[in-house]
Amino acid sequence: MEYNTEQPLIMHVDLNSAFATIEQQARPLLRGRPVAVVNRRTIYTTIVTASYEAKALGVKVGMKFIEAARLVPDLVAIESDPTKYRFVYRKLMAILNDYSSDAVMKSIDEGVIDFHHLHIHRPLIEIGYEIKQRLCDEIGVAMRCNVGIGSNRFLAKTAASLHKPDGLDVIDATNLRATYKTLKLTDLTGIAGAMEHRLNAVGIYTPLEFLDSSRLVLEKIVFKSVCGRQWYDRLRGWEVDGQISDTKTIGRQYVLEKRNLKHHEIMARLHNLCESVGFRLRFQNKVARGVYIYARIEDHKYWHASKMYQLPFYSDATIHCLAQQLFFNAPSGIREIGIRCYGLSDNDDNQLSLFNDQFVREQQLVYAVDAINQRFGDRMIHSADTLDTSGIIRQKISFGSTRYL
Amino acid sequence: MDDELFLNEQIKVVAIFADGLNPCRPLKFKRASGREIVVTEIGLRHPSMQGKRMLHVFDVTDGMADYRIELDAERLVWRLTREADHGI
Repeated sequence: MEYNTEQPLIMHVDLNSAFATIEQQARPLLRGRPVAVVNRRTIYTTIVTASYEAKALGVKVGMKFIEAARLVPDLVAIESDPTKYRFVYRKLMAILNDYSSDAVMKSIDEGVIDFHHLHIHRPLIEIGYEIKQRLCDEIGVAMRCNVGIGSNRFLAKTAASLHKPDGLDVIDATNLRATYKTLKLTDLTGIAGAMEHRLNAVGIYTPLEFLDSSRLVLEKIVFKSVCGRQWYDRLRGWEVDGQISDTKTIGRQYVLEKRNLKHHEIMARLHNLCESVGFRLRFQNKVARGVYIYARIEDHKYWHASKMYQLPFYSDATIHCLAQQLFFNAPSGIREIGIRCYGLSDNDDNQLSLFNDQFVREQQLVYAVDAINQRFGDRMIHSADTLDTSGIIRQKISFGSTRYL
Repeated sequence: MDDELFLNEQIKVVAIFADGLNPCRPLKFKRASGREIVVTEIGLRHPSMQGKRMLHVFDVTDGMADYRIELDAERLVWRLTREADHGI
């Protein structure tokens, strides 16, 4: 198949080092200084985002703060502030929506605009520079973003990563090979360690070699699935990533703040997570039929348990009850706990039940509690045994999903 | 790591209310101690909901330290909630 030679009409806008950039915008004294955004105010915490100044000095996302501080003694740690990041996310989303009805936020810090089906009277590059300027005008002067333009989402994202932190690049059929020549395999979105090894095993070491591989090799030997054909098309600029997938699971996890917590204290934290998951489930108007829980114990070992049930559920009490049953066999020495609800379906409430009175009462109670919490503040009503956990387990923002923003 | 002070101090604020992207601009504020702080830059203004109650959160600086001041839109009260000099 030939390269996609159509005019590039997909634009990817990426706030790189988003949380750190937002903090530098909000706190002018931090501009030009190495900043690390962390989720907890302890030196043992992991860095969520590092500013460009910190990255230039060797600080990496995922590094322990204590290690990074040894590397960069004047590194400033800032605790993440989800409300602030949600505000910037909504601002960015509003800006992108001004250019096309087909604008989608892929995560909290990046969005994609599809200009197909629109009559555009000016070059996309001009629109890209305008978005950059609007970000500065409408949020703040320290805000910077990368803009990438390509014929599919993959090339647009790749273009947005070429000249960080304030670049604007276009990848089309004319410079596709030249661009791939400058990149490593792991620079391509979706290619990380394991995938790189898989490609290396068949003699593919560079993006150009990846591009020149035949469809048959990718489909039958490298990926052994339809993924091979998708990569073949994706690398050539054909769109294969335009589908929006449904929510499959809803969950939360928590790294225990201390190593010597008693069993009832861990159970209180699990209960808190169950309430949070229940709210998220109802927020998306879903019901679940399965519960999965896990615990990370010492030496990065994991224990997990799951069960699928016949009747769907959505209330905090049911989720907690099922999680408690599963957690009964959990080992000791727990460092992290997590719960996920799966087997999701829409809460269309069409099925009549023999036990309708009981279900209706539960439903009314659950929705009344949700309404009170929405009106008077998060966790205004919660289970008594989670009272001590409110200040400990706080909502954090994940990069991958915008479902709860 | 611990260079930020978390406060809950009621303050008196001089602010301009106008139109545009930043309809409210705090100019200076007076702390309970009597110290007056002149705002040289508003870093970011974002709304924050406490239930149905709206707080307008302003991250500002006087060039010596960064401050967070909050306007309770229901009670019309200003509070200083954070102060940090980031080790400068």
